[in-house]
Amino acid sequence: MIGIGAQHMLSGDHAMPDRTTTLGRLEEVVSTVEDFDRVVLQALPILLDRAAGYTKRFLRETGQWSDDVAHEKFVLRWGAEYLEQFLVSGRSEVPCRPLFLLDSIVAKQHSRPEPFCYHSDLLTPLGRFLDGLVGRAAISRDALIALYHHCYGLGPGQIITVLGLNGSESPRIYKNFQRWRDSGWKRTIEDMGITETELHGLNEQQHRQRQRFNGEAERILRFAQAHYRKSEPDHYPCLSRHQWEDMFQQGYGIEYRIWHLALCLDCLHTAWDVGFGGASAIEKPRVTLQMQP
Amino acid sequence: MGPEQDLVEYRERLLNSMKAGVRRSTCGASDAIQVFVNQRRVGLLAGAGAEAALQVQTDARIENVQLRSEDGVLLGGLSAPEYGFRTTRISLLRDTMELRVQNYAQGGSVSAVFIPAPSLWHRARRALAGVADAAVPRPATGVAPGMRIVAFTQVLLAVALVGLVTDRTTGWMTPVRSPLPVTQTEAPWAAPLAEVTKLEQQLVDLSRMQAKAVDTIQAQQQGMAQLQRTMVKLLSTQETVASSVLTVKQEMEQRRKGATRDADHLTRVIMSKAHSAQEQLEAEIHSLTVANDQLARERAQLEQSNQELKKRLKSTGMEVSKAPVPDREKPLVAQQSEPASPPQMAEARPVPQQPPFLFWVTFSDGTSQDSIDRWVHDMHGRKGALSEGWQAVEIGPPTEPMDRFLDQIKQTKIVKAVRVSR
Ligand SMILES: [Zn+2]
Ligand SMILES: [Zn+2]
Repeated sequence: MIGIGAQHMLSGDHAMPDRTTTLGRLEEVVSTVEDFDRVVLQALPILLDRAAGYTKRFLRETGQWSDDVAHEKFVLRWGAEYLEQFLVSGRSEVPCRPLFLLDSIVAKQHSRPEPFCYHSDLLTPLGRFLDGLVGRAAISRDALIALYHHCYGLGPGQIITVLGLNGSESPRIYKNFQRWRDSGWKRTIEDMGITETELHGLNEQQHRQRQRFNGEAERILRFAQAHYRKSEPDHYPCLSRHQWEDMFQQGYGIEYRIWHLALCLDCLHTAWDVGFGGASAIEKPRVTLQMQP
Repeated sequence: MGPEQDLVEYRERLLNSMKAGVRRSTCGASDAIQVFVNQRRVGLLAGAGAEAALQVQTDARIENVQLRSEDGVLLGGLSAPEYGFRTTRISLLRDTMELRVQNYAQGGSVSAVFIPAPSLWHRARRALAGVADAAVPRPATGVAPGMRIVAFTQVLLAVALVGLVTDRTTGWMTPVRSPLPVTQTEAPWAAPLAEVTKLEQQLVDLSRMQAKAVDTIQAQQQGMAQLQRTMVKLLSTQETVASSVLTVKQEMEQRRKGATRDADHLTRVIMSKAHSAQEQLEAEIHSLTVANDQLARERAQLEQSNQELKKRLKSTGMEVSKAPVPDREKPLVAQQSEPASPPQMAEARPVPQQPPFLFWVTFSDGTSQDSIDRWVHDMHGRKGALSEGWQAVEIGPPTEPMDRFLDQIKQTKIVKAVRVSR
């Protein structure tokens, strides 16, 4: 077990001398947006450690903490998430005391029911990979479309067919794919703190025990999907077979299909049955994890 | 690389990407912008230099609004005030997005208006050439009101009645909504089961339609009131603009020889302030008007289908009371008369609002809970109460005729018996 706390990392930064002054400035009122940006940008490391520290405390208090790198990365990742929100919405709170504003934003997040998708299975390399992809899909359309590839190995053309999209939607799908390959995938992997070694390890595992690996991936995927599906309330409810049938036949609900089916394996199967049950132009989607974009 | 080093690098990486901020996005100016309310994605604003707006109403209090590019980068945002409204302008790659968030005693609303930048301003500036120095950079002011109004007629508006939709979607899952008790007393005992079920279904439909109509009417009334208030505000701002321009002009006359520059500057400052306030109001009025039109249409539709439903209900009721023969060959009306829902608004809100269908089953001996759950899930249903061995199951309404549906259920391996009323 490796215990690396915020304090430890700060001393590595040689940030000690300024720290008190910076902290002091963060406690004072800033009255213009420009001041806010300036003060906050100078203090990013302190603020990140603070947000991560709160998250760590939250996990400890809820009995979800353990001393390892995966947990440290987890709190850093969420700390960064909160800090980012603070950076943009804080500008609308001026005049304010930045430090306390951050505290209140983090506290608010932690008082939500399920502030983040925490599960010990999501802290393994495979879990982090899937959590990273699906979590990203909740905020990025590129990642959402890429899920069809990473989870089921579908290419853009196949996605268009399976979702029954029309001509006007197609270019966008290709664009999403392209952007994901160019930069989105790499960024997501890095944002999750997944190392080359870990990716390599995943490939090895899949190579050795393909079925078992994909089975485990499916189990975790369902878990992550159920959590992040809620990120779009309107497209959240599962539909009945009839409703899917109707939607495909009448040609409405394009957004519904794209969002919900990327995040719901069961409905994807239903939709596939509805559209391709007879003619098997495309094989029924199965979880076969693709590590590369 | 040791784990400690790995962690330090990870932290560095997060800090760097935060410093890069908006620049991390690889999306172009023509790509759509995603709008998030309380970290839930509620809509999409098409870019492509077109003017666009999004209006969202929620049941819950709004905490924050965020804009993200299609590749997920946080472009800007706004935290909502406890009560009242707050606005901000967020500059995107080329254009500007105006966000307005408001919290009421119950729920809140967000409007996001996409303002494509240059061309309009350029034209406007030319109109102003007489007053201001042509070499001065933005912002242009004093556009004839008609001109901006023309610009705003191009606004596309997506009305997201999130409140209504979520109310329905959670509502139909709640087992508390019992079939109306009226049926038991009013329907003659002799009436065939299928007829009673149908009647029950129609009554549920009717009450649902009425509830929805009331909601819509209320929303419309609120919208009207807000529209009026905004109008008043707009008028008063226009007066302020007019009077400040007048004073500034007089002042300019006086100082013509000396400090023209100062006066110019002053004019610009005053006018740009007043102008942005006024423009904001106009945008608001426009979106309110459009939203109102939409509501009015919806309401008309609802009322019409309500009437229709009532008529059908009446006739079915009569038929049931007359019905001497069991099992008449008539199609089930209720499920086909699902009106006013998706197709038109489908693209944005396709959540079907059909009422649930409730039935009771008993299972063959030794059926495991697991296989029951799986069976319920396969129908995308939900389990209700269990009483005297009968398990209530709620599902989306079946479209096949009742008899065939029941047959199908009966043929399920694990099902011993099925019935549709208590
Ligand atoms: Zn589903
Ligand atoms: Zn399901």
